[in-house]
Amino acid sequence: MSRKLGALVLAMGILVGAMGIKTLLSAKMTGTTMMANGPAPIPWPPR
Amino acid sequence: MPGPVDLTIWFLGTAFELLFVVCSVARKSFLRYFFLNLYLLSSTTVSIGRFLILWSCGQGSDKYMYFYYYSDALLTLTLFCALISLYSRVFGELRAGEYVKWGAVFLLLGTAGFSYAVVAQSAERLSTSFAYELSQNLYFVGLVLTYILWGAVLKLRETRTQLVQIILSLGLYFSGYAASYALVNFSGKFIIIRYICPALGCFLPLSWSLTMLRYTEESRLVPAHLVAVPR
Repeated sequence: MSRKLGALVLAMGILVGAMGIKTLLSAKMTGTTMMANGPAPIPWPPR
Repeated sequence: MPGPVDLTIWFLGTAFELLFVVCSVARKSFLRYFFLNLYLLSSTTVSIGRFLILWSCGQGSDKYMYFYYYSDALLTLTLFCALISLYSRVFGELRAGEYVKWGAVFLLLGTAGFSYAVVAQSAERLSTSFAYELSQNLYFVGLVLTYILWGAVLKLRETRTQLVQIILSLGLYFSGYAASYALVNFSGKFIIIRYICPALGCFLPLSWSLTMLRYTEESRLVPAHLVAVPR
Protein backbone atom coordinates (compact mmCIF):
# COMPACT_ATOMS: atom_id res chain seq x y z
CA MET A 1 0.00 0.00 0.00
CA SER A 2 1.46 3.36 -0.99
CA ARG A 3 2.02 6.01 1.65
CA LYS A 4 -0.43 8.38 -0.04
CA LEU A 5 -3.12 5.72 0.19
CA GLY A 6 -2.15 5.29 3.84
CA ALA A 7 -2.62 9.03 4.37
CA LEU A 8 -6.05 8.80 2.69
CA VAL A 9 -7.12 5.88 4.90
CA LEU A 10 -5.88 7.68 8.03
CA ALA A 11 -7.70 10.88 7.02
CA MET A 12 -10.94 8.95 6.51
CA GLY A 13 -10.47 7.24 9.86
CA ILE A 14 -10.03 10.60 11.57
CA LEU A 15 -13.14 11.94 9.81
CA VAL A 16 -15.21 8.97 10.95
CA GLY A 17 -13.90 9.36 14.51
CA ALA A 18 -14.62 13.10 14.55
CA MET A 19 -18.15 12.66 13.27
CA GLY A 20 -18.65 9.86 15.80
CA ILE A 21 -17.70 12.17 18.67
CA LYS A 22 -19.98 14.87 17.29
CA THR A 23 -22.90 12.43 17.09
CA LEU A 24 -22.16 11.20 20.61
CA LEU A 25 -22.07 14.70 22.09
CA SER A 26 -25.15 15.87 20.23
CA ALA A 27 -27.33 12.95 21.28
CA LYS A 28 -29.92 15.42 22.52
CA MET A 29 -29.43 17.93 19.76
CA THR A 30 -31.20 21.19 20.41
CA GLY A 31 -29.92 23.06 17.39
CA THR A 32 -27.59 25.19 19.48
CA THR A 33 -24.05 25.95 18.48
CA MET A 34 -20.75 25.49 20.22
CA MET A 35 -18.35 26.39 17.49
CA ALA A 36 -16.98 29.83 18.03
CA ASN A 37 -13.68 31.37 17.16
CA GLY A 38 -12.67 34.38 19.17
CA PRO A 39 -14.19 36.07 22.18
CA ALA A 40 -17.16 37.76 20.45
CA PRO A 41 -20.72 37.17 21.78
CA ILE A 42 -22.34 34.20 20.00
CA PRO A 43 -25.58 34.80 18.08
CA TRP A 44 -28.26 32.17 17.56
CA PRO A 45 -27.24 29.68 14.88
CA PRO A 46 -28.82 29.89 11.38
CA ARG A 47 -32.05 27.84 11.07
CA MET B 1 -26.10 44.99 22.94
CA PRO B 2 -23.97 42.66 25.04
CA GLY B 3 -23.40 43.50 28.70
CA PRO B 4 -20.22 44.86 30.32
CA VAL B 5 -18.92 41.37 31.15
CA ASP B 6 -19.31 40.24 27.51
CA LEU B 7 -17.57 43.35 26.27
CA THR B 8 -14.72 43.02 28.79
CA ILE B 9 -14.10 39.38 27.75
CA TRP B 10 -14.26 40.41 24.11
CA PHE B 11 -11.77 43.28 24.41
CA LEU B 12 -9.42 41.22 26.57
CA GLY B 13 -9.51 38.36 24.07
CA THR B 14 -8.74 40.66 21.16
CA ALA B 15 -5.89 42.23 23.15
CA PHE B 16 -4.45 38.76 23.91
CA GLU B 17 -4.62 37.89 20.20
CA LEU B 18 -2.58 40.95 19.35
CA LEU B 19 -0.24 40.24 22.26
CA PHE B 20 0.67 36.85 20.78
CA VAL B 21 1.53 38.43 17.42
CA VAL B 22 3.63 41.11 19.14
CA CYS B 23 5.40 38.47 21.28
CA SER B 24 6.18 36.25 18.30
CA VAL B 25 7.57 39.24 16.37
CA ALA B 26 9.66 40.20 19.42
CA ARG B 27 10.93 36.60 19.72
CA LYS B 28 11.60 36.49 15.98
CA SER B 29 9.19 33.53 15.72
CA PHE B 30 6.63 35.16 13.43
CA LEU B 31 7.52 33.09 10.39
CA ARG B 32 8.18 29.95 12.45
CA TYR B 33 4.58 30.09 13.69
CA PHE B 34 3.23 31.86 10.63
CA PHE B 35 -0.17 30.09 10.53
CA LEU B 36 -0.75 30.64 14.24
CA ASN B 37 -0.06 34.34 13.71
CA LEU B 38 -2.26 34.35 10.62
CA TYR B 39 -5.10 32.78 12.61
CA LEU B 40 -4.85 35.31 15.44
CA LEU B 41 -4.45 38.27 13.08
CA SER B 42 -7.52 37.09 11.13
CA SER B 43 -9.38 36.65 14.40
CA THR B 44 -8.50 40.21 15.45
CA THR B 45 -9.69 41.59 12.10
CA VAL B 46 -12.90 39.55 12.32
CA SER B 47 -13.42 40.76 15.90
CA ILE B 48 -13.27 44.37 14.76
CA GLY B 49 -15.72 43.61 11.93
CA ARG B 50 -18.07 41.81 14.30
CA PHE B 51 -17.93 44.71 16.75
CA LEU B 52 -18.77 47.27 14.06
CA ILE B 53 -21.72 45.21 12.83
CA LEU B 54 -22.93 44.45 16.34
CA TRP B 55 -22.65 48.14 17.24
CA SER B 56 -24.73 49.23 14.23
CA CYS B 57 -27.22 46.35 13.91
CA GLY B 58 -27.38 44.58 17.30
CA GLN B 59 -26.64 41.05 18.43
CA GLY B 60 -30.02 39.66 17.37
CA SER B 61 -29.79 40.97 13.81
CA ASP B 62 -29.48 38.70 10.76
CA LYS B 63 -26.53 40.76 9.57
CA TYR B 64 -24.51 39.96 12.70
CA MET B 65 -25.55 36.30 12.62
CA TYR B 66 -24.53 35.84 8.96
CA PHE B 67 -21.26 37.74 9.37
CA TYR B 68 -20.49 35.78 12.53
CA TYR B 69 -20.97 32.33 11.01
CA TYR B 70 -19.32 33.05 7.65
CA SER B 71 -16.29 34.60 9.36
CA ASP B 72 -16.30 31.71 11.81
CA ALA B 73 -16.00 29.20 8.96
CA LEU B 74 -13.04 31.15 7.57
CA LEU B 75 -11.40 31.27 11.00
CA THR B 76 -11.92 27.54 11.49
CA LEU B 77 -10.21 26.91 8.15
CA THR B 78 -7.28 29.09 9.27
CA LEU B 79 -7.16 27.25 12.60
CA PHE B 80 -7.10 23.95 10.68
CA CYS B 81 -4.09 25.24 8.68
CA ALA B 82 -2.41 26.30 11.95
CA LEU B 83 -2.97 22.81 13.36
CA ILE B 84 -1.52 21.19 10.23
CA SER B 85 1.52 23.49 10.48
CA LEU B 86 2.04 22.17 14.04
CA TYR B 87 1.84 18.62 12.62
CA SER B 88 4.48 19.54 10.05
CA ARG B 89 6.76 20.83 12.81
CA VAL B 90 6.31 17.75 15.01
CA PHE B 91 6.72 15.28 12.15
CA GLY B 92 9.25 17.41 10.26
CA GLU B 93 12.21 15.45 11.62
CA LEU B 94 10.67 12.20 10.35
CA ARG B 95 10.51 13.67 6.83
CA ALA B 96 6.78 13.04 6.81
CA GLY B 97 5.84 16.59 5.79
CA GLU B 98 4.53 15.55 2.38
CA TYR B 99 2.21 12.90 3.84
CA VAL B 100 0.92 15.34 6.45
CA LYS B 101 -0.02 17.73 3.62
CA TRP B 102 -1.74 14.96 1.62
CA GLY B 103 -3.59 13.79 4.73
CA ALA B 104 -4.71 17.37 5.48
CA VAL B 105 -6.03 17.84 1.92
CA PHE B 106 -7.92 14.51 2.04
CA LEU B 107 -9.34 15.41 5.43
CA LEU B 108 -10.45 18.87 4.35
CA LEU B 109 -12.09 17.53 1.17
CA GLY B 110 -13.72 14.71 3.12
CA THR B 111 -15.09 17.10 5.73
CA ALA B 112 -16.37 19.48 3.04
CA GLY B 113 -18.03 16.58 1.19
CA PHE B 114 -19.61 15.25 4.38
CA SER B 115 -20.86 18.72 5.36
CA TYR B 116 -22.37 19.22 1.91
CA ALA B 117 -24.09 15.85 2.09
CA VAL B 118 -25.64 16.84 5.43
CA VAL B 119 -27.02 20.19 4.23
CA ALA B 120 -27.70 19.33 0.55
CA GLN B 121 -31.40 18.82 1.17
CA SER B 122 -31.96 22.28 2.61
CA ALA B 123 -32.45 24.21 -0.61
CA GLU B 124 -33.02 27.39 1.35
CA ARG B 125 -29.87 29.29 2.39
CA LEU B 126 -27.64 26.39 1.40
CA SER B 127 -24.40 28.37 1.61
CA THR B 128 -25.13 29.57 5.16
CA SER B 129 -26.00 26.08 6.36
CA PHE B 130 -22.91 24.71 4.61
CA ALA B 131 -20.60 27.30 6.23
CA TYR B 132 -22.11 26.54 9.63
CA GLU B 133 -21.93 22.75 9.20
CA LEU B 134 -18.39 22.84 7.78
CA SER B 135 -17.25 25.00 10.68
CA GLN B 136 -18.68 22.59 13.27
CA ASN B 137 -17.39 19.47 11.53
CA LEU B 138 -13.92 20.94 11.06
CA TYR B 139 -13.93 21.77 14.74
CA PHE B 140 -14.47 18.11 15.64
CA VAL B 141 -11.83 17.03 13.13
CA GLY B 142 -9.50 19.53 14.82
CA LEU B 143 -10.35 18.03 18.19
CA VAL B 144 -9.39 14.51 17.05
CA LEU B 145 -6.27 15.80 15.26
CA THR B 146 -5.13 17.61 18.41
CA TYR B 147 -5.52 14.48 20.54
CA ILE B 148 -3.51 12.50 17.97
CA LEU B 149 -0.87 15.23 18.07
CA TRP B 150 -0.80 15.01 21.89
CA GLY B 151 -0.16 11.28 21.51
CA ALA B 152 2.56 11.90 18.91
CA VAL B 153 4.26 14.46 21.18
CA LEU B 154 4.35 11.90 23.99
CA LYS B 155 5.43 9.04 21.75
CA LEU B 156 8.15 11.01 19.98
CA ARG B 157 9.25 12.53 23.31
CA GLU B 158 9.07 16.00 21.93
CA THR B 159 11.15 18.34 24.10
CA ARG B 160 10.65 21.74 22.44
CA THR B 161 8.85 23.59 25.24
CA GLN B 162 7.20 26.24 23.06
CA LEU B 163 5.80 23.68 20.65
CA VAL B 164 4.60 21.32 23.40
CA GLN B 165 2.85 24.10 25.32
CA ILE B 166 1.20 25.49 22.20
CA ILE B 167 -0.15 22.01 21.37
CA LEU B 168 -1.30 21.39 24.95
CA SER B 169 -3.13 24.74 25.03
CA LEU B 170 -4.84 23.92 21.75
CA GLY B 171 -5.94 20.56 23.17
CA LEU B 172 -7.37 22.22 26.28
CA TYR B 173 -9.15 24.79 24.11
CA PHE B 174 -10.80 22.14 21.94
CA SER B 175 -11.65 20.01 24.96
CA GLY B 176 -13.26 23.01 26.66
CA TYR B 177 -15.47 23.61 23.65
CA ALA B 178 -16.41 19.95 23.41
CA ALA B 179 -17.37 19.99 27.09
CA SER B 180 -19.48 23.14 26.67
CA TYR B 181 -21.11 21.63 23.57
CA ALA B 182 -22.06 18.51 25.52
CA LEU B 183 -23.30 20.65 28.41
CA VAL B 184 -25.57 22.69 26.15
CA ASN B 185 -26.92 19.67 24.34
CA PHE B 186 -27.72 17.84 27.55
CA SER B 187 -29.18 20.80 29.39
CA GLY B 188 -30.78 22.48 26.36
CA LYS B 189 -29.85 25.90 27.73
CA PHE B 190 -27.97 28.14 25.32
CA ILE B 191 -27.32 30.65 28.10
CA ILE B 192 -24.69 28.28 29.60
CA ILE B 193 -22.19 29.08 26.86
CA ARG B 194 -22.80 32.83 26.94
CA TYR B 195 -19.65 33.38 28.99
CA ILE B 196 -17.87 30.01 28.64
CA CYS B 197 -17.22 30.15 24.88
CA PRO B 198 -15.93 33.76 24.74
CA ALA B 199 -13.77 33.02 27.81
CA LEU B 200 -12.31 30.02 25.99
CA GLY B 201 -11.70 32.36 23.06
CA CYS B 202 -9.57 34.43 25.48
CA PHE B 203 -7.78 31.41 26.92
CA LEU B 204 -6.10 30.26 23.70
CA PRO B 205 -4.31 33.52 22.74
CA LEU B 206 -3.46 34.18 26.41
CA SER B 207 -1.82 30.77 26.91
CA TRP B 208 0.03 31.03 23.58
CA SER B 209 1.23 34.53 24.51
CA LEU B 210 2.45 33.35 27.93
CA THR B 211 4.30 30.52 26.19
CA MET B 212 5.97 33.02 23.87
CA LEU B 213 6.81 35.33 26.77
CA ARG B 214 8.24 32.66 29.04
CA TYR B 215 10.09 30.38 26.66
CA THR B 216 12.43 30.79 23.73
CA GLU B 217 12.75 28.44 20.77
CA GLU B 218 15.79 26.89 22.48
CA SER B 219 13.89 26.00 25.69
CA ARG B 220 13.65 22.27 26.25
CA LEU B 221 11.52 20.07 28.50
CA VAL B 222 12.85 17.17 30.52
CA PRO B 223 10.66 14.13 29.67
CA ALA B 224 8.70 12.93 32.71
CA HIS B 225 9.92 9.72 34.33
CA LEU B 226 6.48 8.15 33.96
CA VAL B 227 6.47 8.77 30.22
CA ALA B 228 10.12 7.98 29.51
CA VAL B 229 10.06 4.19 29.63
CA PRO B 230 13.61 2.76 29.90
CA ARG B 231 14.65 0.63 26.94
